[in-house]
Amino acid sequence: MLTVNHLRKRLPNGKLLLRDINFSVGEGEFVAILGLSGTGKTILLRCINRLTTPDGGEIVLTDNGNPLNITQSDAGEIRELRRRIGMIFQSFNLVKRRSVIENVLIGKLGRIGMVRSLMCRFADDDIEMAHRALNRVGISDLADRRAGTLSGGEQQRVAIARSIMQDPCLLLADEPVANLDPTTAEVVMEHLRSISVGNGISTLAVLHQPELARRYATRVLGVRDGVIVYDGDARLSDDDFEVIYGCNDV
Amino acid sequence: MGVTMFKNRYIIPVLFLLFVIWSIIGTGFSIRDLIAGVPNLSNFIGCMFPPAWDTFVPLISPAIETIQMAFLGTVFAVVLSVPVALLAANNITPSKPVKLLARGVIAFTRTVPDIVFALIFVSAVGLGPVPGILALAIHSVGMLGKLYAEAIEEVDPGPVEAVEAVGAGKLQAVYYAVIPQVTPSFVASTLYRFDINVRSSIVLGLVGAGGIGFELIMAMRLFRYHEMLTILIIIFIVVMLSEWASNSIRAHVIGEEVLK
Repeated sequence: MLTVNHLRKRLPNGKLLLRDINFSVGEGEFVAILGLSGTGKTILLRCINRLTTPDGGEIVLTDNGNPLNITQSDAGEIRELRRRIGMIFQSFNLVKRRSVIENVLIGKLGRIGMVRSLMCRFADDDIEMAHRALNRVGISDLADRRAGTLSGGEQQRVAIARSIMQDPCLLLADEPVANLDPTTAEVVMEHLRSISVGNGISTLAVLHQPELARRYATRVLGVRDGVIVYDGDARLSDDDFEVIYGCNDV
Repeated sequence: MGVTMFKNRYIIPVLFLLFVIWSIIGTGFSIRDLIAGVPNLSNFIGCMFPPAWDTFVPLISPAIETIQMAFLGTVFAVVLSVPVALLAANNITPSKPVKLLARGVIAFTRTVPDIVFALIFVSAVGLGPVPGILALAIHSVGMLGKLYAEAIEEVDPGPVEAVEAVGAGKLQAVYYAVIPQVTPSFVASTLYRFDINVRSSIVLGLVGAGGIGFELIMAMRLFRYHEMLTILIIIFIVVMLSEWASNSIRAHVIGEEVLK
């Protein structure tokens, strides 16, 4: 459902970060991307929803049987595409001075006309859907709180609810639990998995702990020196470890 | 080494002193004139007492007009400044030429004094508060546009990116992710500008742009010194009231920030 071929991305400073990335993700898969810091895992994710423009190669997203070439899209098509791709950020990226429910409704902005969204008029159906999304991540009681007053784990759950509103076919998660304590991280990972499995949403998550990948992912991609060096089972052997990280005692 | 230290320590005070002397010579400032002027000054002040209390009530309505001028001028200034600031901010501007143009507008409106704008508008639309309001509105863009743009450049880009990542447009991203982040600083800057505009609108009255300032210049020209003093008292009250009002609004807004 997502196919990446020969993806290439050069940094503004001239460094070729992604040299030749090839992989594909099937319907409902939960794929963890592992690799050392600075290997371009985040950039790879950002190329998929075009927050970053790649320098070469192609990314094809097949949604409802329609293949869409992401790398060839113009501005309008990129917006169209982003509506179907949810994104979870390391730092949650909520609008802190707005209420939780408003933050969740932001997930609908891509599908609402400009004029209506500037008048803050969300349809009753959308508001109801937002409450259901909050309920799904277990924080329906926080709907009217200011987002900035929530704990990190709660904020990330609001971000997940925001993605649910998009009714995505693909979910990108960029180090979703890197800013959270281990217990909270478990809760957030559990929610991500439940949405991926429950709604059949393919998920691509950059993770820093192979342990989390082993427990939640169905598959692991290892990125090193700009290419995929490992593509396979989420249970990494010591050798796999060495292939991805360069030593087996990380 | 010792010579360098001597130079470093004294060069600025010496330059400063030379600059003071140079300016005194250039402007012909003399203490003697000042002393000679003291009797005139005390005579003038003496003529003003007591204030003409019977003119107090009739002067309330021009005083209110002054506040209304300052208020409307500030409101129009906000309406003009927000789009200009968005176009001038590095992180929001659609292109570099637009940014330079917006910054040019901000620099120009700040450089030209409001009294100059007032003179231009008085000759264009005639005497009265309207040219004063226009002058305040346009001159304020120079300050508000600059402060707003700085606030916009300091927003956390994360939420903006998150809104764009759901497929929203640039304008929606600004409305949902930028505006909420800059509201407190916008409110503070705007109230500060309102305080300045209350005082400026009095000065603008002097060139015929309505309000209590116009009454002041008329009283002066007609040698009604007792009335002048009444006007000065009213101006004092107006300025104090407006500063008190904006301080309480500011405290309310900032208090809200702390509480929530």
